[in-house]
Amino acid sequence: MPPKPHRVLLDRVSGYADEAAAYMRRRRASRRPFARLYYKGGRAEDHAGDSAVGGELFVAAGRLIEVAGKKP
Amino acid sequence: MPDDAATGVVSGDAAEGALAYLAEMSLDLRGAAILGEGGAVLAASDRPERWREDAAALFEVADRAGNEPVEQIHIGTEQGEVFALRHAGLAAVAVTERFALASLTFFDLRALLRDLAGGGDGRAGEAPPDAA
Repeated sequence: MPPKPHRVLLDRVSGYADEAAAYMRRRRASRRPFARLYYKGGRAEDHAGDSAVGGELFVAAGRLIEVAGKKP
Repeated sequence: MPDDAATGVVSGDAAEGALAYLAEMSLDLRGAAILGEGGAVLAASDRPERWREDAAALFEVADRAGNEPVEQIHIGTEQGEVFALRHAGLAAVAVTERFALASLTFFDLRALLRDLAGGGDGRAGEAPPDAA
């Protein structure tokens, strides 16, 4: 027996909502503060904020953000 | 600094023009600086002395992190994002709004430095005036 039309609509809407929620979760997770260094040949290294170097990088970046100020 | 090629002297005027062009085409840009040999500021959006000190501090920390000189730096924080790039003896540092497109920003910075190093005015990506 085919599902009732309103069931199809509800399923579709909740499917879109689930997709959107998952997208927002992924975006938040991927946009946590990060420090990434790139070297010749394309090698990259991530440094966590709680590491010694990571902490220094965030301090240095914070000073640059301060000197740049807000968008004119 | 890691160099792809030794650079000639880049004039302050060319660097200023390149910075203005970068600001014009990068909607997310808050401020930036272009540095020459030895970290001297060739152009900065504001307070060049602060840009010189803070950019030098950033590169110093980054170089210490690995066993070779760093080529690109990308740091994202809650307050904004910092991009730094070295090319041909020059360096560019830019601060943007959050969520700026990293690949595009690095592309613009690299094109700018490459053009300046080649004796241009940093506007390599600009369409010719007669382009429709």
